Amino acid sequence: MTSLPMFEGAGAGSLGFDRLVFGVEKARTRSAANEDPIEARAIAAVKAGDAGAYDYLVSKYMKRVVSIAWGVVRNAADAEDLAQEAFVKAFENIGRFKTGEPFGPWIYRIVTNLGLDVMKHRKRFRHEEITDSAPAARGDRADLPAISNELAERIDRGIESLPEMQRIVARLFLVEEFGHAEIAKMTGLSEGTVRSHLSLARGKLKEKLADLHGGSND
Amino acid sequence: MTDNDDFFDRLRTNARQLRYEPDEMMSIRIAARVRERIAAESQSGIALVLARWFRPVVASLATLALVATLGIQWAEQSHDAAASLDTMTSTQTVDISVGGDTFSVE
Repeated sequence: MTSLPMFEGAGAGSLGFDRLVFGVEKARTRSAANEDPIEARAIAAVKAGDAGAYDYLVSKYMKRVVSIAWGVVRNAADAEDLAQEAFVKAFENIGRFKTGEPFGPWIYRIVTNLGLDVMKHRKRFRHEEITDSAPAARGDRADLPAISNELAERIDRGIESLPEMQRIVARLFLVEEFGHAEIAKMTGLSEGTVRSHLSLARGKLKEKLADLHGGSND
Repeated sequence: MTDNDDFFDRLRTNARQLRYEPDEMMSIRIAARVRERIAAESQSGIALVLARWFRPVVASLATLALVATLGIQWAEQSHDAAASLDTMTSTQTVDISVGGDTFSVE
């Protein structure tokens, strides 16, 4: 059995992870091969039946998976359930995962899809509800770590005011810093649709945040 | 377009802090539940593999037992039938009367 560091904490785990996540536009030109040898070994071990090796993957991707889930459902409890479900689902389907590829995009796709399912379910449920009361606030901003400046808070409010898919795509692009192609894979939309959602979101956000960004409305 | 991209770049810089950070307790809870569910699944996986192997074996044994039982039953029945025919033929007598005398022939 391969021995792997168990829950080495966010710091150590996120180093390699950050390399995968930040600068996603550059990532498109980069090879899709797994650059983290520990991760590659963990995946191989899990595939070989060592369930304990999965802990490494869970600890490495935990923060990001929860953040993506929260961005879609805007609720801490649901985000927690979604993250859990995503990790279990990924484990169940690890046999289908291509060896040598980074685990990140795969788990992000799973959690986004699960989140979108939850949103669909919510929408259906909302339709069935008697709607004479005011709709509940979608955002659960209290869950967010203290937003240090007014600008970030306004951006958050701006993103939250967008229609659902624009909101999800904009959040994945602006907050989670994924590229168009990555968002397309995660959401199951075409790259063109992602660009179109972003373009619409950009226009609306520019209107709302014009004063914060030099007042240009072009 | 460049202006728009600049706008989004600037938004990105400020929006990074909007990422949701799970607290330590939430991370521990998620990891523990995932581990628990995986362990449960692994166990049920073993049970499934065993079931997959045992089911045909048990089915074959059951079929064999049934065939054997039916065979024995059939053998016993045919043996009983032969025996009863023998008994019948041996116990039945034929009375023949000739000239006022009766003879019994077995």
